[in-house]
Amino acid sequence: MNRLGLALRFLRRDARHGELTLLVLALIIAVTSSTAISLFADRLQRTMNLQAAEFLAADLVVSSSSLVPQEWLDKAKQARLKQAKTAEFSTVLIENDELLLVSVKAVSKGYPLRGHLKTMVDLDAQEVLQQQGPKRGHAWVDKRVLSALKLNIGEPIMVGEKTLLLSHIISYEPDKRGDIYSLSPRVLINDADLSATNVVQPGSHVHYFFQFSGEETAIKYFSAWLKPLLGVSQRMMDVHDDRPEIGGALSRAERYLGLSSILVILIAGVAIAMSSRRYSERHFNSTAVLRCLGCQQRDILLIFLYQFFIVGLTACSVGLLLGWCSQELLFHLLRSLLPATLAQPSLMAVLLGFLTGFAILIGFSLPPLLRLQRVSPLRVLRRELEPLNSSAYLVYGLALVLIAGLIFQYTDDLKLMLSIIGGGVLALVLSAALLYGILAQFRRLLPRMGLSGRLGLQNVLREPKASVTQILAFSITLLAMLLSFTVRNDLLSDWQQQLPDDVPNYFALNVFPNQVPAFKQQLKQHQVPAANFYPIIRGRLVAINGIAVQQIVSKDSQGERATHRDLSLTWGNRLPDDNKTLAGQWGEAKKGEVSIESKLANSLKVSLGDRLTFSIGSEQVQATVTHIRSVQWDTMKPNFYMVFSDKTLEGYPTTFITSFYLSDDRKKLLNGLVKQFPAVTMLEVDAMLKQIKMILGQLTAAINYLLYFALLAGFSVLFSAIYATLDQRMTDGALMRTLGASRKLLRRVHIMEFSMIGLMSGFMAVFMYQLILFGLYTYVLHLDFYFNALLSLVIPLLSAVCVTLAGLWGVRATVNKPPMRVLMDH
Amino acid sequence: MSTNSYPIIETKNLEKTVTVADGNLTILKAVDLTINRGESIAIVGASGSGKSTLLGLLAGLDTPTMGSIKLNGEELTGLGEDGRAEIRNKLVGFVFQSFQLMPRFSALENVMLPLELRGDKQAKKTATDLLRRVGLGHRLDHLPMKLSGGEQQRVALARAFVSQPAILFADEPTGNLDSKTGEQIIELLFELNQEKHTTLVLVTHDSALASRCQRSVHIDAGRLV
Repeated sequence: MNRLGLALRFLRRDARHGELTLLVLALIIAVTSSTAISLFADRLQRTMNLQAAEFLAADLVVSSSSLVPQEWLDKAKQARLKQAKTAEFSTVLIENDELLLVSVKAVSKGYPLRGHLKTMVDLDAQEVLQQQGPKRGHAWVDKRVLSALKLNIGEPIMVGEKTLLLSHIISYEPDKRGDIYSLSPRVLINDADLSATNVVQPGSHVHYFFQFSGEETAIKYFSAWLKPLLGVSQRMMDVHDDRPEIGGALSRAERYLGLSSILVILIAGVAIAMSSRRYSERHFNSTAVLRCLGCQQRDILLIFLYQFFIVGLTACSVGLLLGWCSQELLFHLLRSLLPATLAQPSLMAVLLGFLTGFAILIGFSLPPLLRLQRVSPLRVLRRELEPLNSSAYLVYGLALVLIAGLIFQYTDDLKLMLSIIGGGVLALVLSAALLYGILAQFRRLLPRMGLSGRLGLQNVLREPKASVTQILAFSITLLAMLLSFTVRNDLLSDWQQQLPDDVPNYFALNVFPNQVPAFKQQLKQHQVPAANFYPIIRGRLVAINGIAVQQIVSKDSQGERATHRDLSLTWGNRLPDDNKTLAGQWGEAKKGEVSIESKLANSLKVSLGDRLTFSIGSEQVQATVTHIRSVQWDTMKPNFYMVFSDKTLEGYPTTFITSFYLSDDRKKLLNGLVKQFPAVTMLEVDAMLKQIKMILGQLTAAINYLLYFALLAGFSVLFSAIYATLDQRMTDGALMRTLGASRKLLRRVHIMEFSMIGLMSGFMAVFMYQLILFGLYTYVLHLDFYFNALLSLVIPLLSAVCVTLAGLWGVRATVNKPPMRVLMDH
Repeated sequence: MSTNSYPIIETKNLEKTVTVADGNLTILKAVDLTINRGESIAIVGASGSGKSTLLGLLAGLDTPTMGSIKLNGEELTGLGEDGRAEIRNKLVGFVFQSFQLMPRFSALENVMLPLELRGDKQAKKTATDLLRRVGLGHRLDHLPMKLSGGEQQRVALARAFVSQPAILFADEPTGNLDSKTGEQIIELLFELNQEKHTTLVLVTHDSALASRCQRSVHIDAGRLV
């Protein structure tokens, strides 16, 4: 028997009669959205990484206090990575009898590997993009250097023992990093001039940054190879962990994109399960005939598997093409937001979209398909003989394994995946039980209802299993959409909060205590809103409960990084506004107490009551941890790991820090401030802010589009569910009309039935949604949970309207087609 | 035929054409037929001769391409679907070869349905009585799937007669039954027909069954002969 040939012929006939339309459509929607999302997310992420890489000026950076072994650089070369090197050190420049502590950065050829520098030739000139750092013999400087040292462009400048030509003012340096509290103005020189300066001697404090860029896989390979070789004073950074304000937004967006993908796939999966069930049920009769004509169970299974394989191949290819077009369209729509150079779509993402399509097809449509091989040949004589259902374990197990695999792929967290799956299954079982209970109660209403209401409700109650399945499918779809929408809104409002229009774009550092009142006065006079002035003392955490920190912290941890350098310590009874208390109390703290940031506390395994020792200058100060708080690092306002109680740090030399916002037209005020307070360091973060805002803007737009995909998939479920029961409805409708029911009556019956299903799905979805939020707020976020009554009304109503409208549209033929034709067809 | 009878069904120049892949296919052509009240008539013909199509048109289940159909003096062709549904509910009962019971309704609910559509408050009692009359008093709550072919056709008969229709259309009512069960159903059909004074229009290719009717018309290739 040529099963493939048979499969092809059957498929052609089915296609001609529209039997496959719904299944193919559902599959195309699933593959289109999953491919579009997978491609879009992957490409956007890589585009954003490219952009975020600008902040590193590379894809991967190794920071080190000494030169790294040549073997490392050779390995990078072998992996075809581009390389650059920068060396940073502080030195004092003396010009025109003025002294200035500057941070010199000597850059090699190739720097910056990602992004570019921006320079000006004088203060009023236009910015020019620079792909490379200064030429040999040249120096580029921050404009603060010019004013502080009374220099002009074109004049010579001495760096150590080397005289260089001052050729450009730096207006943007992509990888400007470091502790902003101790930032000195920058002098950029060529690597080749470094030794001639004679500043760098054995033992001098130089920080090297070895930068690498190249193919993602090569970077990953190199980074994995390098990680175990890193020494104590070496650290590896990529776009995710270098800049918290970008890294945070990126990983949140990535998680959102991943979540949306899973939700869309889940919704589309429900649609596929429904339509393949209908497909298989409609083939019971023809299968029985095939069995009669001598086909064995195996033949039947293979014939249908071939068919599904061909259907899958076709639908996945079409979906892939549409997915590709959709993501191109998305990028086209977002072109004003995106940088000119986009990352190319990766073959991996295309393949993933394709494989996901097949996985959904198998996971959700195999169980109903397997039913076909169990069709009894006796069915040709007795139509009522239904094949046995596939085992429930198989039906739900396959889909569960698929979803679990996808969740694992996106979260990379086995425990999280297991709890999501476990919670999901439990919720489904409980919801199903609850629905059965509700339906049983509805039965009591029947005698009191009018004819159309009764017939409509009876349609829902007659087959409780089918109704519960349908309601659950709708509620999962709705729930998925609600969750997706909520996460999106939270994400957006979070970003909005993080970066409002008047987010501070200047930091004033090193304000001496006696200057604070005058500085405040200046800002007030010009109506510039400023954050609080925080006192700062530089100090290092050296011991926890008497044990040296170096013995406690684990390598590469946040704790290690924070204890390797001086921290900015502050004090006061009032904490920055966005800090949230997680443990302990603050406000009336006594002398000798300290509040610690929660992530650092976790990393250092510090809890309330622990005693911390800090070294400040040549002295040591002890304080007990009485408060642990969360800090939003990305607000562009001064924030601190350690806040001490009043008087604990009394007597140490202190400076103050604040941040404020100056709009473009008021930037001239800055000159006045600089003149009045020459020792105060003004740090401009405008360029960085603009970049962050642009990235967040792109993400916001992308996330909005993703929601449309979820909606599209949701509608595919709606129509699949309606089509899944269409045959029965057609016959029922035709019979009712044969017996004299008017179309109005039929329509009322349908409205009753669909609105009941919609309403119950809506209530179920809102119920589960509020339950999830309750759990999340109470046990994870530790926030107060408010029951949203309006949502609990609006969603069920909206769901009822949508399901009813779609349902009426779907069954319009039962009302309009002459009953004779329907009865003959069925 | 009683002397005070009058035409309850009247067709003039009835024609039905359908569109198929290679053009139009005429299923019925120039059918003129008058059936009087209380009459029992068999429409006889070979498979594919157009008899079921004619029945569907007479019962207002489908619309003709040309010509007129009057049911109890009312012109069907001028009516919309809802108008025809109303007439069906008032005047017409059906029995089909494949029973056409609502699969998710119990036997009782199937029989109650036409009365419920009329808003009859006694639907349950009337339907129960009639089901007992056809010998299914013990099967009231069974779904059609659980009933044998003969039992399903009895439910269909009860459903057809429950609303006391003026006309009963029966399309090969014994076609799906064995001869013994078929005979029982026919007995029941004619008994009920007499009890309820119904006009019976029966489509069949069984000449024995046709001979039990007062009159037979033959149809061949869409024309009455």
